[in-house]
Amino acid sequence: MRSAWVAELVKLLTVRGFRVGAVLALVALPLTSLLVVSTGGLGKADTLTSGAATGSVIGLLGFGAWSAAIAGSEYVHQTIAVSLAIVPRRPVLFGAKIAAAATVTGAGTAIAALVSLLLVRTTTPSGTHRLGTPTTLSAVVLAAVAVAVVGAALGLLVRTSTASIAIVAAAVLLPKAAAGLLGGLQPWVVGASPGTVITQAVGGAQLSSDQTYPGGTLLAVVTMLLVAGAVAVGSGYAFNRRDG
Amino acid sequence: MDGHRVAATDDARLGLSIEVEDASKVLDGVTVLDGVSFVALPGRVTAFLGPNGAGKSTTLRAILGIDHLDAGRATVGGKPFRQHQRPVTVVGALLSPDSAHPGRTARGHLRVVAASNGLPQSAVARAVELVGLGDAVDLPFGQMSLGMRQRLGLATALIGDPAVVILDEPHNGLDTAAIRWLRIVLRALADGGRTVLISSHLMAEIERVADDVVVIDQGRILVADTLAGFLGDGGLSLEERYLAELDAS
Repeated sequence: MRSAWVAELVKLLTVRGFRVGAVLALVALPLTSLLVVSTGGLGKADTLTSGAATGSVIGLLGFGAWSAAIAGSEYVHQTIAVSLAIVPRRPVLFGAKIAAAATVTGAGTAIAALVSLLLVRTTTPSGTHRLGTPTTLSAVVLAAVAVAVVGAALGLLVRTSTASIAIVAAAVLLPKAAAGLLGGLQPWVVGASPGTVITQAVGGAQLSSDQTYPGGTLLAVVTMLLVAGAVAVGSGYAFNRRDG
Repeated sequence: MDGHRVAATDDARLGLSIEVEDASKVLDGVTVLDGVSFVALPGRVTAFLGPNGAGKSTTLRAILGIDHLDAGRATVGGKPFRQHQRPVTVVGALLSPDSAHPGRTARGHLRVVAASNGLPQSAVARAVELVGLGDAVDLPFGQMSLGMRQRLGLATALIGDPAVVILDEPHNGLDTAAIRWLRIVLRALADGGRTVLISSHLMAEIERVADDVVVIDQGRILVADTLAGFLGDGGLSLEERYLAELDAS
């Protein structure tokens, strides 16, 4: 499994478009946060930590789309046959792809969150906002990893980059955008969606009760990760049974 | 390009047969494989012949586990390919000239293959030298000619010094010198104890290198014989004998 994972990382490193995509996804979070903060978007109740997380949704979309694109590219460019010929154990190949996307996303988001916090702290007048709890930015990393796992899993399931990117974008944006249609399920679905999980964790903008996960932030994180894991398991099952 | 280098290994991994037993597959209601059975033996070049759409590529993909069989089995060394450890040292395969991401260089592609099976990076340089990729090694795959792509596919197949080599129409796009080189390589691989299974439409070339012949048409095996046995005493070339067999089926 380790060799397959390393090979997937080498795949990502040896295509310029993949490298550029990861860097763009990485800088999306700090730049968006910087933009929000520098244009006076930080509310009185916000902390520097919640300010650093304001660009999270853009970062989630960036890494989610990137993961979907790299996984789907195996089918777009018909390289999956070679990949299976060198790593014929399908669960290993699938797991390696998911793990590689999660690794890059996790590391990239951790750097992005740290840089974002430093930028926000530097650009915010001292004494105007509390620091908050920087360790809660780990929720940004976990949310991004969850979205990347879903993105890579969908890329292998749908077998096209464009469609899988669209589905990932919908998965990130739709829960909140379509919250009103969810009825009683709203707090369970919206509360466990990646963007809202981050907001709950960093304690930023006040969420209404119908958008807050009933079981608390920790359970919201666990639910989000379980859903991502379930998508991966389902996609992996399909990958194992289908040709190519 | 030195075809003799690949034959030097005296390795316990060698001696693995490819066995396809009663393999069947239906795709979208069309029977693409219908009870296909044959064996490719170590130390021999087995030519897998048939018209377009006969089921050759599907069979080769089934041997590698890329496509699933509805019935029957395909094994390498007595077990499914996926059950082997370090698979590129067991089977090296060239299935299509489109083997790498268009933005990845040949060197990058071979680094991926080496990393996937824990091969040393020196294997990359050796494979590049073996197939004569030369300056094209740092060219993005999307900018490589068909011939160079085939050479990269061959490098991918041979990088692990495998016991079994499966090549699907490897002659496509190769120039005269490369075709001659491939002939020498195939012979050297088989003479070194490896199992070689090759599909091709170049009958004259196959006749020069093959030991055994398997002919498939419409998903059914028509012939599984030695080349000498298939040709018989009629004085026909392989091309003539092959076309006669298809006409008779």
